[in-house]
Order: sequence, then structure tokens, then C-alpha cells
Amino acid sequence: MTEHLEPGSIQSAGASPAVAEELLGVIQGVEGVSAVYPAQPLWQSIAGAAMAAVTGEILPLVSVTGDGDALAVKARIGVGTLRPAPSVAREVAGAVRTHLLPRDAAVEVYVVKVGP
Amino acid sequence: MNTPEDSLDCGHSLAELSTYLDTGEIADPAHLHSCPECQAGLASLRRLSQLGSELLTSDLADAGSGHDDWMQSILDNLRLELRPGRSIPLQAGNPKDTLWETEGSISALIRSVADALPGTAAGKCRLHGDVTTPGAGITVDVEIAVVYGHPLDERAEELRRELAQTLAFQTELNIETINITVRDVLEPPSAADQVPSPPTSPAPTTREDQP
Repeated sequence: MTEHLEPGSIQSAGASPAVAEELLGVIQGVEGVSAVYPAQPLWQSIAGAAMAAVTGEILPLVSVTGDGDALAVKARIGVGTLRPAPSVAREVAGAVRTHLLPRDAAVEVYVVKVGP
Repeated sequence: MNTPEDSLDCGHSLAELSTYLDTGEIADPAHLHSCPECQAGLASLRRLSQLGSELLTSDLADAGSGHDDWMQSILDNLRLELRPGRSIPLQAGNPKDTLWETEGSISALIRSVADALPGTAAGKCRLHGDVTTPGAGITVDVEIAVVYGHPLDERAEELRRELAQTLAFQTELNIETINITVRDVLEPPSAADQVPSPPTSPAPTTREDQP
């Protein structure tokens, strides 16, 4: 399912795949990010796993929830060895925040892998 | 069927990952691209395989299976350390943001640094202390096994130095102490220890544990 949303029209995680896809590109573009992993692993989300099994739909790697004025973004990333992981995590959060302007956002970033 | 103790949080086991390395077969190969714990497990198993090859090409080839216990110990620790573990907070650039490193990612990093040294494999890799509190003093405990012929003191000191640099670069942890314990040395039997044996019997293995 592809749904194009105008800025400010985001209602929930399920209704914001376009924004999640945009943010995936933003995060992958940060120097030092080697991988982006599912923000909510399927085995932690029975409902998500069941839906994916039935529909075959791939859930967004980046989680985006909230309304149009205040978003919550969660991402799990892998970081290479050439740049400090804490700096990369901060740059990811900053890049997400900048991309979503003028909307406000709370960004949660997990570094789940450090290395090649 | 895997027991919960055998499985990673994603449900896969080290046995399944090992089979995948051997045969290329696993029930859901796409999962491996989205699971950092499985990727870390595969990397560790590949390094163990390389070390095993080194052992098999040494004089230990005829020395029986004395390193089986040591290998089993490493695999037991891998099962624990491949889990995400505790969340280690990082300083955020914006007060609304929350940034973390998982304990599992740092354990895997420590393990990769140790395994990268020639003739060395990491056993237990532990972070002691409250990693969830910024600035709390942390002690790193690493147990390694070293193939006979590699200098133990130099290897331990080199590892301590590299871990200090790597953890200072890749974390915000306040590392107070790094303890390196050479847990196993795999060495061939000396001539004096060898007992004449029938041609069909394997030579005994000498295995030393150092505290």
C-alpha cells in the first residue's frame, strides 16, 4: 500500500508510511550509519507479525507515531567503526528533527550494532 | 526444538546460525538482514571457525578434543551476550530526544576487538556496574583463550590498550578498569609428558587454565 500524505496530515503510525520512508532515507544518509533495523522487531509485535503474515506488507523500518503537530520517531541503527557511535546517533536525531520541521518531534535512536 | 535458554530474543538459536554458515539454509533468510543480534552471532561464529581452522592446522590436530570445553564455554557466553541487554544512555543534542546504545552491541564490539588479535578468541565479555546511569564507574571483564605460541603478556596488554581506545571512541561509558584474563591456553603436549601409546590412540591434550 502506498499512501502519499501532505505535511501535517499524519494521524498515526499506520497512516504515515510515506514519512517513515522519507526518514529512512534521511537516516541512511547520515555518515557512519551502516544499517537501519526495524524499530519494532516483528517478534515483539504479535499484531504486526500477524498483519504482515496475512497481507505480505513490509512494515516501515522507522516508526513514526503521533499527530501532525507532535511526532514520535523511533529508529534502530547500526554504526560502522570509522565514526563515534554517540556522535552518529546525535546526528541521526538532528537530521530527523530538521527534516520534520516545522513540526515538533521526539526522536529515539537505538544503536544496536557497532562494527562492520 | 530450541529451549528459551538456547535461543536469542528473535527466536533463532546459535545452532541454527551455525547450520546456516555450513549449508546456507535457514527458514527465513530475510530475517538475517534485519536482526543485529543474528548478524553479531554469525560474525562471532565465523571468527570461531577461523580460529578452529588455526587449531586444526597446528600440532593440536592429533591432540584429541581438549578444546571442546573451551569452545562450549564461548558458545554459552555468546548465547547470553547476543541479547540486547541493558540500554546505555547517550547524551542527546535536544532534550526531547533519547539516544541509547544496547549492551549487546558493546559486548559484540568488545568481542570483535579481542577476536581480531591473532590466535585469540574472546570468552566471557561483561560490563559490570550501572551502565544505565551516565558517568557511573564501569569495569570491563574479558576472558580470552590464546593459541599456544602467542605471547600471553603482550597479547593481554595489547588487548587492554585497544579496548580502552575503542570504548572511549564508541561509547560514553566511564571505564574505570579493564580486566583481561587468559582463561585457556591450548598447547601441544611436551615430549616429557608424552606417554608411549599404541599407534591407534590419540596423544593426550594438555590444557592449562590460568586465573
